[in-house]
Amino acid sequence: MYNWRKLIDKLFTYMVIAVSIVAISPVIHLIITVLLNGTMVIVKTGINFFISLPPTPFSKDFGGIAPAIVGSLLMTFISLPITIVLGLFAAILTTEFPKNTISIVIDTIAKSLASIPTIAVSMIVYTIIVVPMRSFSALAGSIALTIVSLPYAYTYFSTTLRSVPFIYREAAFSIAMSRWSTVLKILIPVVRRGIVTAILMTLVRILGETAALLFTAGRFRNGVTISPLAPADAIPLLIFDFVLSPYEIWRQVAWGASALLLLSYMVIFFTVKFLVKEVKL
Amino acid sequence: MLSRKDKLFFMSLLPLSLSLLAILIISIAVIGIRSIDSISFFGSKLYTMNVWDPEAEVYGLLAPIAGSIVTSVIAILTASFFSIPLTITIAEYLKGSTKNIVSSIVELMGGLPTIIYAVWASQYLVPFLKQYVMDPLYSYLSFIPLFSCKPITGFSVLAAGISIGISITPYVTALILEAYQSIPSIYREACYGIGATRYESIKILLSLARPAIIAALVLGFARSLGETTIAVATIGNSMNLNLCLFSPSYTVSALIASQFANAYLYPYAESVLYAGMLILVIISILLSLYGSTTIIRWRSRVIV
Repeated sequence: MYNWRKLIDKLFTYMVIAVSIVAISPVIHLIITVLLNGTMVIVKTGINFFISLPPTPFSKDFGGIAPAIVGSLLMTFISLPITIVLGLFAAILTTEFPKNTISIVIDTIAKSLASIPTIAVSMIVYTIIVVPMRSFSALAGSIALTIVSLPYAYTYFSTTLRSVPFIYREAAFSIAMSRWSTVLKILIPVVRRGIVTAILMTLVRILGETAALLFTAGRFRNGVTISPLAPADAIPLLIFDFVLSPYEIWRQVAWGASALLLLSYMVIFFTVKFLVKEVKL
Repeated sequence: MLSRKDKLFFMSLLPLSLSLLAILIISIAVIGIRSIDSISFFGSKLYTMNVWDPEAEVYGLLAPIAGSIVTSVIAILTASFFSIPLTITIAEYLKGSTKNIVSSIVELMGGLPTIIYAVWASQYLVPFLKQYVMDPLYSYLSFIPLFSCKPITGFSVLAAGISIGISITPYVTALILEAYQSIPSIYREACYGIGATRYESIKILLSLARPAIIAALVLGFARSLGETTIAVATIGNSMNLNLCLFSPSYTVSALIASQFANAYLYPYAESVLYAGMLILVIISILLSLYGSTTIIRWRSRVIV
């Protein structure tokens, strides 16, 4: 009887560990293959990969993904500040007035918004921005990215702010600081690492989002523009189109772009990891 | 009651904070209004028939809706098969730096842009699944309706479900792990106190966490319903409705991703796609609210 129970215990342990190894092996395979295939393309093209236009299906050269890089940077540049301000304001409101009805409503809404499929956001922005403006634009893409990442930014900021012990607030109030200066001079500086982390995690959301850009940004790949009102391209969008295309050369470019995206993601991830112990994306 | 100064502070925060509310209202309103046309024209047939014929102006979304649900069910089965053992390994068997590395890998997986999963799944996972899972299942078990058709390219409901399942595994794992680790240690001590082995105490702790685990799976299901890029890259994209898991099909979001760009050419096509999305959005919001409130309620009951 005793041995029988011990045997089951052992078997269970081995099985659980075996399945766990199977569970994390896909991501290791993924990282290795994407980096191998992708860096090969980038090394072959060299600096051209970052400064030239994508190839035509039958050209010999890989070309580059300059429009996608510029477009991604431009849309991130527009949407990140807006997302941070909106998310931070909402997070301050709900942490400072946790029992207020409006705070509870905002908290629930953030959860519902996060569950809306991102392709739905793309369709919504298409109707309210692209159709009235009669053109795809980097601006429409940025708005879609903001809507997609706002609930996440809100959650990151409010978890961070909620981690400040109440005694800090009491100390600030006892020397008659106003509520605004308490937030700006005490609470945010106390958790500045957490705030930086929250900003970086929002950046990851914005950089990697594909579906929200499908019907908003346009797919302008014949040149580089930095006008927010002109159609633009983005790295995930280019990967999406090229990897599913029948042309071998486009699939190669998609590998290169994927490696670039993966590398930038990993750089941000390890920076965050360096700042805080546990990361929850 | 708020004092005058507090009220001022509150009011200064309010306008920007309400952006979340405004976005939710606008989103649902836009999708609702845009789908009215097709719902009033086609009625319930829109959801019970299966056709996509813009030339003849007949549409029915049964295949993509069924595809979405079946894909998500496979995804959540895959995710629970992986994430429960992963939770146990991280929480029970690993210590120190190995634990750090493994949980870092899970965190790294969780934030990975889905497009990268899509690239990898379409180039490596689908051929792998075709050769080592679908072909053997077809040759030995083809009398079961689920496995009754010959896998041709490998791009299929099963491939999409497993690919999405792998991508949501870290999310589900994080939720289950959080719940599992928040169980107070007195329960574990009680288990060891009556002489339970580790396996027996894990079984008891898991049954204690069951409501939270189910809620985590519901949240994962909601997330996989809306997954677009991986679905488009692996499901094979065809308006197909049959029981076999090896045949290509559509999910609602994959259908939209591939048809929306040209839909404005036909009078009802755009509206039909919005109507499909309406169903998806309603289901996702309800499931995610159910899931998150269940977890909160479970936590307040277990942790005293």
